Amino acid sequence: MTTAARPGWNAGVPPSKNMQESPTPLSVLGPQAEAERQKIRQSFELGTSARETLNALCELADHDVRQIFDDVLRVQNREAAGLCLIALGGYGRRMLFPYSDLDILFLFGSDKTEQEFRPLISEFSRTLWDLGFRVSSAGRTLEECKRIEEDNAEFHLALLDRRLLAGDSTLFEKLDEKVLPGSEKQARPFLLAQLHKLTRDRLTRYGNTIFHLEPNVKESPGGMRDYQATIWLRQLAEEKKGIGNITAAEEEMCSSATDFLSATRCFLHYNNGRNDNTLTYELQEAAAERALGIGDGVARTPSDWMRQYFRHARTLNRQLLRYLEQKAPVPLTLRQRLMNAARTSKIEAGDGKYFQVRDGLLEVVDLSALSDRAITYSLFAECARTGTPLSREAERSIGYVLIHPELPPKNTEMPWETLREILGSDYPGLALRPMQRLGLLMEVLPEFGLIDSLVVRDFYHRYTVDEHTLRTIEHLQELADSPDERGAHFVQLWKTAERRDLLILALLLHDVGKGMPVENHVTGSLAALDSAAKRLKLSPEEKTEIQALIEHHLDMSATVQRRDIFDPATVAGFAESVTNQERLQRLCLLTYADIHAVNPEALTPWKAEMLWQLFVATSNYFSRTLDRDRLHAHDEVSLLGRIKAFAGAGSTQEVERFLEGFPRRYLAVHSPEEIAAHFGLFRKLSEEPAQTQVAATRHGFALTVLTPDRPALFSTISGVLAGWGMNINKADAFANSAGIILDTFYFADLHRTLELNPGEITRFRKSLEDVLNGKGALETLLKGRVSATRGRSPKVAVETRINFDDSSSAHCTLLEIVTQDRPGLLHEMGSSLARLGCNIEVALIDTEGHKAIDVFYLTAQGKKLTAQKQELLREVLQGTLS
Amino acid sequence: MMKLEAVIQPSRFESVKDALREIGVEGMTVTEVRGHGRQKGHTEVYRGREYTVDLLPKIKLEMVLPENLVNRVVDTILKSAKTGKIGDGKIFLSRVDEAIRIRNEERGENAL
Repeated sequence: MTTAARPGWNAGVPPSKNMQESPTPLSVLGPQAEAERQKIRQSFELGTSARETLNALCELADHDVRQIFDDVLRVQNREAAGLCLIALGGYGRRMLFPYSDLDILFLFGSDKTEQEFRPLISEFSRTLWDLGFRVSSAGRTLEECKRIEEDNAEFHLALLDRRLLAGDSTLFEKLDEKVLPGSEKQARPFLLAQLHKLTRDRLTRYGNTIFHLEPNVKESPGGMRDYQATIWLRQLAEEKKGIGNITAAEEEMCSSATDFLSATRCFLHYNNGRNDNTLTYELQEAAAERALGIGDGVARTPSDWMRQYFRHARTLNRQLLRYLEQKAPVPLTLRQRLMNAARTSKIEAGDGKYFQVRDGLLEVVDLSALSDRAITYSLFAECARTGTPLSREAERSIGYVLIHPELPPKNTEMPWETLREILGSDYPGLALRPMQRLGLLMEVLPEFGLIDSLVVRDFYHRYTVDEHTLRTIEHLQELADSPDERGAHFVQLWKTAERRDLLILALLLHDVGKGMPVENHVTGSLAALDSAAKRLKLSPEEKTEIQALIEHHLDMSATVQRRDIFDPATVAGFAESVTNQERLQRLCLLTYADIHAVNPEALTPWKAEMLWQLFVATSNYFSRTLDRDRLHAHDEVSLLGRIKAFAGAGSTQEVERFLEGFPRRYLAVHSPEEIAAHFGLFRKLSEEPAQTQVAATRHGFALTVLTPDRPALFSTISGVLAGWGMNINKADAFANSAGIILDTFYFADLHRTLELNPGEITRFRKSLEDVLNGKGALETLLKGRVSATRGRSPKVAVETRINFDDSSSAHCTLLEIVTQDRPGLLHEMGSSLARLGCNIEVALIDTEGHKAIDVFYLTAQGKKLTAQKQELLREVLQGTLS
Repeated sequence: MMKLEAVIQPSRFESVKDALREIGVEGMTVTEVRGHGRQKGHTEVYRGREYTVDLLPKIKLEMVLPENLVNRVVDTILKSAKTGKIGDGKIFLSRVDEAIRIRNEERGENAL
């Protein structure tokens, strides 16, 4: 701080005749102010509360501002008439932090007085600066204050906290009582809209989360700005005396949160020696050591102290968000209104009795129902299913019920079926977020509590472990909308992933080990899975899948970064550890989300591309090596036991005979219950040579056919399906060593024949069995149906690609076909293959929109297809498919 | 002083970094880059879509070294980045006139 003489004041300017006494020189005032500041700091360090400290700093500033203002007036021989000094913003509210700016407005009675006082103002500001105060000033005439400056909303908002400091009090009264009440009332919609925008922009800048590892205690969500914005929202909503229907407990929590954060911000200013509000790791340690803001003097670990910080930050942030939601000043856009209407119609399909959609948010209609936890859980399931967020008010109501013992809860245990529904929905993050805020996620999954607000110091991670985890899930759900360049490849993987619930549960648990005293966090996370699986009663297959995902959750990222992913040996080794296509898809999504949630920059387009390349190479490896890895049933002791137990009949030898020689992929795409059902059909083959089964699935029906191999079997079955007007979406065909074929077709019932007439299922099966057993003619069935569907032009044109591969399989030629999907397509392709004497050993049939993607493993007379046969087949298929 | 730029296989980056650390070189700038030299890209087909990878992912290392360390660093990178296959990358060397440490304005090799 400089104590230089002030030109025109205590050097060279004769004292005015009106002066009663000489102004105190800077050489005296400066050290006095500094000594006073040191005293306040020492007092804070000895335990004086932040509230008192801020007040003392404010008193000191007020005193010096008034004294210097009086001195300058006297030196320049002026009266203050027509000029007053007004404290704004935090200073106006008497919350002046050690190194914060003094926000001061110079209010002039007219343009003329502004001109006259200009030299005085500049002298005054310079002197304050020399005394160590950072002044951020603005000057306005009374007339100017009547107008709203549309490009300077911050100024008008700061003016809400006005306080007279010095000068012409009549002028201040005019502003405070006559000018501003009118202009503020008129400008309220504008100010509210601006405040919303400024606040939303700030929250977005900080990733809309309080859970930063090194938060900024002023600007981050949950910081002091949240508190300030809430106050302004209340003021603009004309609720200066208190938030409508705010409870005393909520007021108390807000007050204690403000005290804690104020103490933290004071501490940061003093330690940094400037207005730096970043709570760095080093300062977290120092704050924890002195139990800052807690007041009992008992040192905490940095993690424990940060948990306190996040608890208070959450209180301030929650209050702000509730106000932002309640007082939305901007009318909804047409798109938003349409979205809301769509959500409303979705919700009405569910249980409209207890909740409804208003302004695109789920609201609770019947508060008394919330003591039944099953109803509360169904509310979260609706959020996850429809993509409709829970309103803050609904969240508050649930929170109220949760903490009041006079409302004893019923059905507190969330069954795995309900959790599974939430996790497997399109928007799981929309349910899990409020569940976490309300503590319900930790009730359902206590293991998650180990990472609640947990700071793990790491050069790359930006968020606490729980925040990172929830972000992984949100990044996946964002794939359903319009992701950026990095996510484009992964959209289809997310949309087509089966059993997403297992993937999401794996994500919830993948880093839980970081909250355990273990050397490798994966070990801890697997232990957490053990306890969660037991409590949730997961099936062994479900647990195995989640276990594999957690165990390998770093493998894909490590392979991408440390191995040559263009080397076939790397791909083969990686594929071996992943074991099957479905797990690869989940692991790829998990890795994408895990890297993405480290920090906003972690997933570079470069890394996303590498990840995608590894996925594609491994996926192709799986589909080209399907027949290499076949089951040797004798070695699968545990599987044999489980199948036998599910089937409830048959000997182990029989099960072995059935399973022997199926490709291992058969186990990946069918559950043990399904395999047991297949075994049941196998046992009935002696009674009837073609066994069929039809079951309803989530997206349509599944047809299973078990029969000894015969020519054109695959094309015949697909022909019957086409004849009945069924659209095949997916299919697989496997054969065991004994030549028993197991074909599964997943199809959509386009005309709802089976759905609306359950009796037709029996007729459909009979018709299929008749055709397979030579008692019925396929041609008759197909005639009417195919001609009815011919001639419709496709909405999206797909170019046909036919590719043969002789190198991937030891015994078969691979035929990969991508073409325009249409009814009866599979039957036509299968017939062409059968006509040319090709036997389908394995088939994988899939569709993606209007595109059919099929892989056939073919032999002709037990051998690979010759080059001539491949050419002939290509010609025939091109003719069929064009 | 010499500036060294090395474009290497991403899979060799950890080994190169460890080897450099062993000879006392810790400071470097690392960039994820894409490109190709004689190693052309390739085409991969997934579900009927063709993905042409004509620009291959590489890692670029940049460091400025005192003259007496240059040969050692080059040898170390050669040993640790080489797989013998096409696409192992390249090392470029160029002269640097001056280096200045922003914190204390030290200049020359002292600033490295």
